[in-house]
Amino acid sequence: MPPRASKRKSAPPNSSSVTSSDGRSVSSKAKIKGLEKIDRLFNTYANSSLGMIDPEGIEALCSDLGVDYTDVRILMLAWKLKAEKQGYFTQDEWQTGLKALGVDSLSKLKKALSDLEKEVEKPSNYEDFYTYAFRYCLTEEKQKSVDIESICELLNLVLGVQFRPQIDSLIEYLKVQNDYKVINSDQWINFLRFCKEISFPDLENYDATQAWPLILDNYVEWMREKHS
Amino acid sequence: MSAQKKKAFQIEAFKHRVVVDPKYAEKTWKILEHAIHEIYNHNASGLSFEELYRNAYNMVLHKFGEKLYSGLVTTMTSHLKEISNSIEAAQGGLFLDELNRKWAEHNKALQMIRDILMYMDRTFIPNTHKTPVHELGLNLWRDVVIHFHAIQSRLQAILLENVRRERSGEVIDRGLMRSITKMLMDLGPSVYQDDFEKHFLEVSADFYRLESQEFIESCDCGEYLKKAERRLNEEIERVSHYLDTRSEVKITNVVETEMIESHMHRLVQMENSGLINMIVDEKFEDLGRMYCLFRQVSNGLVLIRDVMTSFIRDTGKQLITDPERLKDPVDFVQHLLDLKDKYDKIITSAFRNDKTFQNALNSSFEYFINLNSRSPEFISLFVDDKLRKGLRGVTEEDVELVLDKVMMLFRYLQEKDVFEKYYKQHLAKRLLSGKSVSDDAERSLIVKLKTECGYQFTSKLEGMFTDMKTSQDTMQGFHASHGSDIGDGPMLSVQVLTTGSWPTQPITTCNLPAEILGICEKFRNYYLGTHTGRRLSWQTNMGTADLKATFGKGQKHELNVSTYQMCVLMLFNDADRLSYKEIEQVTEIPTSDLKRCLQSLACVKGKNVLRKEPMSKDIADTDTFLFNDKYTSKFFKVKIGTVAAQRESEPENQETRQRVEEDRKPQIEAAIVRIMKARRVLDHNNIVAEVTKQLQSRFLPNPVVIKKRIESLIEREFLERDKGDRKLYRYLA
Repeated sequence: MPPRASKRKSAPPNSSSVTSSDGRSVSSKAKIKGLEKIDRLFNTYANSSLGMIDPEGIEALCSDLGVDYTDVRILMLAWKLKAEKQGYFTQDEWQTGLKALGVDSLSKLKKALSDLEKEVEKPSNYEDFYTYAFRYCLTEEKQKSVDIESICELLNLVLGVQFRPQIDSLIEYLKVQNDYKVINSDQWINFLRFCKEISFPDLENYDATQAWPLILDNYVEWMREKHS
Repeated sequence: MSAQKKKAFQIEAFKHRVVVDPKYAEKTWKILEHAIHEIYNHNASGLSFEELYRNAYNMVLHKFGEKLYSGLVTTMTSHLKEISNSIEAAQGGLFLDELNRKWAEHNKALQMIRDILMYMDRTFIPNTHKTPVHELGLNLWRDVVIHFHAIQSRLQAILLENVRRERSGEVIDRGLMRSITKMLMDLGPSVYQDDFEKHFLEVSADFYRLESQEFIESCDCGEYLKKAERRLNEEIERVSHYLDTRSEVKITNVVETEMIESHMHRLVQMENSGLINMIVDEKFEDLGRMYCLFRQVSNGLVLIRDVMTSFIRDTGKQLITDPERLKDPVDFVQHLLDLKDKYDKIITSAFRNDKTFQNALNSSFEYFINLNSRSPEFISLFVDDKLRKGLRGVTEEDVELVLDKVMMLFRYLQEKDVFEKYYKQHLAKRLLSGKSVSDDAERSLIVKLKTECGYQFTSKLEGMFTDMKTSQDTMQGFHASHGSDIGDGPMLSVQVLTTGSWPTQPITTCNLPAEILGICEKFRNYYLGTHTGRRLSWQTNMGTADLKATFGKGQKHELNVSTYQMCVLMLFNDADRLSYKEIEQVTEIPTSDLKRCLQSLACVKGKNVLRKEPMSKDIADTDTFLFNDKYTSKFFKVKIGTVAAQRESEPENQETRQRVEEDRKPQIEAAIVRIMKARRVLDHNNIVAEVTKQLQSRFLPNPVVIKKRIESLIEREFLERDKGDRKLYRYLA
């Protein structure tokens, strides 16, 4: 219902409409009410001294939601919340995120998680989510790259389902090679491109003279040697 | 008599009744027919030209041209039939003779007939589009005589047989042949071609096919080519004597195809006599012949060039990878130059300076010289050797020749920046030890390098020369102001080097003997007095010293040694024996340098001014050294200093390589940024191509390294990948 001017005293016959003395309409009241629920949910998990949900709180949330702490859906949730810092949700983030999801209770959130998966998988969102996943790992200030171990885990988490064979092989390589000890965002984004564009396992259409990062050139060479 | 009326003046045709006697035409024709007979029977002298002409004229005038013409045709035809028969009857060799004679007669007759019938030729014939008399005469000869089947085949056979006989060495009547072929030509080019030339070419092709097969089985390459050349010349001569000139190119084509083109590959690759052997044995004449002959066939020269190129590449590759050769860099480079000279000579004397061959030679050299990554170092060592002693006493022109040759090799190098590094090192050693044969030669080479590579390449090198000159001036100033102070003390000569221009040297520790510390300090103060704000550091690893030494029996010698060696030797003024450890402690010279220095003082025959205990080749930490009282030498002046530039050991080489790679990184990055700044957006392949082009005068960048640099620039946010097309890069201002 659209908000109406506060001067009107008599409301149209509508059982759910109640005009309060300050003139705010029900939808915003409902909003406030909904917001209250969201806030209450927030406070259930938040660390009161910090004013935000910390890793412990997230762990608790996870167990209540019935998902593992390391489940990719939590990462998706973080993406939806546009969470800045890994392991923490601020109140703003929480509010914006849950509102965007259209949920205000735990049960609704649980249901929303599966919808969230589908939403992420939409091509328009997927790349955004993928890039977000990397950024989420940059925990230190001015950090630009992530160590190989974490990258391997992240790859597994984010791309493992859709591109199982590529990811397994790539992770094997990353652990074996020692040219690179960290991965930067440019290399990260190209991993996804690689999985999407290059035929596997023959790698037939890979062209090392094109603008692929060197680490992938090396990976392809390693693969070709292995299979010859 | 005023204005007369002018009447139009008209001339009218003379109308006079001409009596047309019906028998007139027949009568007149009979006269002419008879005349033709007489002409063919060689009785023309009794005829009146004027009368006959008039008769013919009248016939045409009275509209009997048709009768005249057809009569002519009939009469001439019947005569020619007779002639045919007589020719056919001729036996064997007389056939051609008879034919030729009859032809000449026919031509004479034809001429006379034509003259008689000239009026018809000029009026009736053009009007009725009939064939003119002369041409008619030729056509009839052709159709009735030449194409008479008995004559036609026999004529062809005899002509070809004559050619065959001449080819096998017999002498034939060339004049007669000439007349006959001329006859055929006169009858029309297609007659010559169809009746003779076509078959001539076919038969010749068969002949040469057989002969070439014979030759190739029995001759070696050089002989074969001689024979082929001879046959070609024969054919050309034959044409000039009795064939139509247009046949020349056709017959030479046949010979070339059969003798050269069909056997091209076999000839070139013939064992023991083919192209490669000719090159190795420098058979210029044979090579020149091969070049001329092969030039005439398609892909002939391509074949020669390809075989030569792969041979040069293989030879070069062997030379480059032969460990024996590589032991002596100067010798190695000399071999390269000799090889180039050899091929240059072949190309100039035998291959007519053909540019495509020059290019093939250049690309081959470029190919194998760069197979060995130490080529730049070796070429620099060669130059070093020449500038130290090789060019001593050589005239200025010859010096230029040698330097030009060096430049030629330099141009082949892909890694010119590596050469620059070594050249700088070697030049530094030469300048500092004063060992250069000729300052002019040094400068001349720098100028050549500058012309080739631009100012930047040589600016530092020139800086080194400047430093030497400036140091001379500084020393003059120093001695002028402090000359009196020195007195009996050591004489100091200093070269002040600007850090950026000279090859970087690590600063090493070395404690100078007390005797010279004083003068060194004086110089330092003098210099810093006139050049404030500068820092001086003694390069103890690069200096030399002259020591006056007195040995056991009073023999005096002047020793020329390195600074390190001086430090060590001066210690023996105060002690007769010293242990390695003691020496090391006092001088603080780095271990490997110290060991090398002690080795050259104690272990080299003729230079052992020190004695080592125990006597062994290598220096051990536990050794003891004594002053060698018993040292003797023929020479008053003994040189024990460090040796001239030598080829680097493997680990040193690795180190230099690494430094070169490190130096290249910023150059590549600078090129990338320059290119991207101009182009804004560019795809990967084009960046690689542009970078390679920009740097090609210095070195060939590795595409993998370029990619790495691009990624580094992306990380440092100079570039980014285009978000739409991932193959593109964008410049970030």
